[in-house]
Amino acid sequence: MALFSLFFYGFVLTAAIGLLASWIDRKVTARVQYRVGPPLLQPVVDIIKLLGKETLVPAGASKVAFLLPPVVGLSSVIAVSALLWVNNLNPAEGFLGDLIVAVYLLTIPAIAIMMGGFASRNPLASVGASREMKLLLSYELPFVLAILVPVIKAGFDIRLGAILSVQADRGVFLGSLSGFLAWVVALLCMQAKLGLVPFDIAEAETEIIGGPLIEYSGSALAVYRLMKNMLLFTLPFFLMILFMGGLRLDGIHLAYGLLKYVGLVALVTVIRNTNPRVRIDQAVRFFWGRVTVLAAVAVLLALRGW
Amino acid sequence: MDRDSVLKEVRQRLKDDILDVFDKSAKRVYIGIKPGSIRKAAQVLFKDLGARFNIASGVDTRSHMEILYHFTFDDINLLISLRVMLPKDKLEIDSLAPLFEGANWIEREMNELLGITFNGHPDMRRLLLPEEWPEGVYPLRCDYREWDKDAIRDRGV
Amino acid sequence: MSIKLKALLKSPWVFHLSTGSCNNCDIEVLDCLTPRFDIERFGMLLAGSIRHADVLLVTGSANRKSVVRLKQLYEQVPKPCLVVAIGECSLSRGMFIHSYNCPVPLDKIIPVDVYIPGCPPKPEAIIAGVVKLINRVSEKAAAKK
Repeated sequence: MALFSLFFYGFVLTAAIGLLASWIDRKVTARVQYRVGPPLLQPVVDIIKLLGKETLVPAGASKVAFLLPPVVGLSSVIAVSALLWVNNLNPAEGFLGDLIVAVYLLTIPAIAIMMGGFASRNPLASVGASREMKLLLSYELPFVLAILVPVIKAGFDIRLGAILSVQADRGVFLGSLSGFLAWVVALLCMQAKLGLVPFDIAEAETEIIGGPLIEYSGSALAVYRLMKNMLLFTLPFFLMILFMGGLRLDGIHLAYGLLKYVGLVALVTVIRNTNPRVRIDQAVRFFWGRVTVLAAVAVLLALRGW
Repeated sequence: MDRDSVLKEVRQRLKDDILDVFDKSAKRVYIGIKPGSIRKAAQVLFKDLGARFNIASGVDTRSHMEILYHFTFDDINLLISLRVMLPKDKLEIDSLAPLFEGANWIEREMNELLGITFNGHPDMRRLLLPEEWPEGVYPLRCDYREWDKDAIRDRGV
Repeated sequence: MSIKLKALLKSPWVFHLSTGSCNNCDIEVLDCLTPRFDIERFGMLLAGSIRHADVLLVTGSANRKSVVRLKQLYEQVPKPCLVVAIGECSLSRGMFIHSYNCPVPLDKIIPVDVYIPGCPPKPEAIIAGVVKLINRVSEKAAAKK
């Protein structure tokens, strides 16, 4: 049973919805720039094409250290997606502390990109990987603070299932003031986790030519791209579970759930298209400054009960 | 400092070194000088009169090798070109690189493409031509001939 | 046609490589990537790194110095890879055919798949050339069966 849910929910369903979301993102970006975008199956074709090219390992780089990070990143995304789906479908099947497991697993993709960058034996890749490291250190703090708010509002219970059932009874956390502030903070941290403008500093294409992924080609690059596309489903889903009541599958709530998910993806795309890229020191100052203050205010308001 | 006073000043300071002055237009003046006095002339124009060294150009003509040094007076819109004629059997001239850094690379380029020797240049290395280019073959001379056996020069028709 | 080739033709990532051009052809290539002649509708993206590239858009006549770098870059592209020669200078060195610095034309150094003449070719010509290449490669693969 666990293997089935791992494979079907964690991999197949997440990959399908993630690739569809990636297409929505590219098509909306194209439309906003007054041009026609790619056809529907383009993200799938990209990955199939990359699987057909040869995988070159740079001379002098250790093969294991070069080819292991994509696999590690993809498996962590599969694991966290399976965990979130299982909790969403039956809230009673979670275990104590699965929220902490989810948060830990969600940091591994960024660490996988870093590992790949440092194993590439390329100075540009090292620069990109070090920027990714600084970005990771900066946005994890407000992210954890923002996750504290649903935990507090669900009665200091760190089970995802408890958060979902409290929201089913008392209404979504987004409606309250502290929940809304925490949702905004989590949205900004999600933009940085996904590596999208304005926080795509690590993989800046015109500055450091692809950053940590500069030496990857063929199947390894395909796995990285699949990991990023699957994150485009997993992270908004995580946000939905924490703040917007998850994806309930009965009747009209299914339509509401799909609308919530598409709305989150649309919000990410809109932020992506209307902002320039920031420098790494501006991003760190932003996350450790205003965003952390906002998250701390949200936690205090949640403790107060608002 | 207007155009006439600049030219009068130049003529006064470089009395014996000037061979001829060709007033081409309001913006351009060509002053022919002897090869031995290029350093003095450049010093006069650069240090005393405050001109800016623009570029130097070398031409291989039928009778001699000609180098033009272009100095500009930006505020009065005047370009003075010092013309030096070198005999083809003795292609040597004093280098201007110790005077100002702007002449360093253009003299390296003229050395490797035309074969002119610059005495006193601090760092005469190859600038543009690749390492496998043979020594002593100067591409921009009139008598340059193809030395590369593997080159393909026909248009294929 | 094998699924590998089909996917390659439906999502070719282009890499822009200049071997010593006057940059006119490069400007026209950049024009192709702007919203007016949008090539993302064919699935083409501009690849930043040479290792992500499928199609090399080569401009410029190969100088003696850039021949060395061009060979190194061609070895770094993961095969299968298509090469497009853009502009007169990369077809046959154009007006630089007797120049001392351009000994051989481009197709004696790396294998070229399609030539796009023009000085510089218009973006419409570049897009038409790449589409013709895609059609010809798929026809050849279908005829081989």
